[in-house]
Amino acid sequence: MRNPVMTASGTFGFGKELADIVDINRLGAIVVKGTSLRPWKGNPPPRTCETPAGLLNAIGLQNDGVDDFIENKLPFLRQFETPVIVNIVGHSVEEYVEVARRLDDAEGVAGLEINISCPNVKEGCIAFGTTAEGTARVVSAVRKATKLTLITKLSPNVADITITARAAEDAGSDALSLINTLLGTAIDPWTRKFRLANITGGLSGPAIKPIALRMVYETVKSVRIPIVGMGGIVSGLDAIEFLLAGASAVAVGTGTFINPTATLEVIDGITEYMQKSGVSDVRELIGSVSE
Amino acid sequence: MPNMCDCEQKTKRFVSDCEIVEQVEIGSGVFRSILKDPNIAAASLPGQFVNVKTAEGFDPLLRRPFSVHAVDPENGTFALLYDVVGRGTKLLKAMHKGDVVSIVGPLGSAFDIGNDPNAYHVLVAGGCGAAPIHFLSDYICRKHGCSNVTVLVGAKAKDAVLCYREFTAHGVEVQTATEDGSFGFQGLVTELLESHLKTLEGTIRVYSCGPMAMMKEVARICKDMRVGCCQLSLETVMACGMGVCMGCVVKTHSKNKDGWSYSRVCTDGPVFNAEEINWE
Repeated sequence: MRNPVMTASGTFGFGKELADIVDINRLGAIVVKGTSLRPWKGNPPPRTCETPAGLLNAIGLQNDGVDDFIENKLPFLRQFETPVIVNIVGHSVEEYVEVARRLDDAEGVAGLEINISCPNVKEGCIAFGTTAEGTARVVSAVRKATKLTLITKLSPNVADITITARAAEDAGSDALSLINTLLGTAIDPWTRKFRLANITGGLSGPAIKPIALRMVYETVKSVRIPIVGMGGIVSGLDAIEFLLAGASAVAVGTGTFINPTATLEVIDGITEYMQKSGVSDVRELIGSVSE
Repeated sequence: MPNMCDCEQKTKRFVSDCEIVEQVEIGSGVFRSILKDPNIAAASLPGQFVNVKTAEGFDPLLRRPFSVHAVDPENGTFALLYDVVGRGTKLLKAMHKGDVVSIVGPLGSAFDIGNDPNAYHVLVAGGCGAAPIHFLSDYICRKHGCSNVTVLVGAKAKDAVLCYREFTAHGVEVQTATEDGSFGFQGLVTELLESHLKTLEGTIRVYSCGPMAMMKEVARICKDMRVGCCQLSLETVMACGMGVCMGCVVKTHSKNKDGWSYSRVCTDGPVFNAEEINWE
């Protein structure tokens, strides 16, 4: 990775959607949208709702499936030097394994991000990611199916995120991503209806940054594998906070919706901070917060 | 799938800090903002929208989509026309000449007006749907002349009929429908459409923007009367506006086994062929 800034899955499409605005070669890595074995339709609309400094979404991982990804989306991404990480989703362990197996054979995939934390699908995903057993089952099965680098994306909707973090590490995950969105909802007082057709959704954006930062800090102390920190990062200084808390890399998600070039501004912001504080290697920053 | 019209996005997108050059209240609660950006003004096509950051900071967090109402490429400006309905529009109308707003655009698909110089163009606007229809009317007149263009404008009452004078100034035929009969035909604009289509013979292209219920009826009429090309500009709540979040979807017919899928209004639309929309 040329820098520690990645895209958060589901906020940068498959790269092509934003390639006219963002130079993908400047990114540390690109994490593409959740990809399942077969096409998923996603949830009925309305799927999004804005809240103060936050965004609730219940997209439901609409995607055209792994074969479509390999055939129609991956070729575009191969022209860039930036590592491509594919976020994989499934209703069952077998589906995760099959997606991983097919991507293992595909040229131009650097790693997989195992999504066991999407709160918006009824079967699978978060159902695995809220327990140590479920996490271990998915991660160890995917580990056996591929030699690709594995990142496990953890859910914050648990009492103690270090338990699932350790389960992923023990099952062979090479790194962790945290956090996915926080379960929430919103109601329209005048219609007395939920604002999302799915009733609940996942909260992202600046509103969740303090929670994400706390969870990264807690997790760093209980695992040895690197952590990709995410949750509300919109600026270089936000990213610096995650690095200081111990994240080895960061991802920009909802920030891209607010400002399509947010990833690039985060990269430039990190450089500017390093210059101002006399830091020559970004690794010097990692975990250097003082208690 | 019949694919009579080609509405795909082909224009370049820009991220720009645009200066507000004019703010006018053109009717009760309806505002027009004119913004400066030569690139957006030159690239925009009728039906496309821009995504506007109506305030700095995180509240509101997301941009708000506004359809392009008019362009003036010579002066490098473009206009937005909007009803003040929520926080985004309230913030935008409160801005002053000289203020700068961040805008991404032009975005999405555009109305396809075709190449047939003899085609009849029937434009149906409901309420604030007149905003992009105004740009379209001007655009068709420049390309094909305005002799075959009719604009049907619908509203609840006379004071809510938008752009009447502007349409007349383009030189197109304008008919109005108001629910209370205070201006033009008393009834729905879709009733006007039905009777107007009966007077035409030859190639007809229908374009519409307005409330969903109205556009559903426009689609039904066009189907029943075998109008080959009916294009609708849809509006949904958007998060990113650039095709990545999948938040703004509508149900469309599809070749898959269920016969439908969700399509993004921001990039697959906002202009769709009426035949593409699954109204169930």
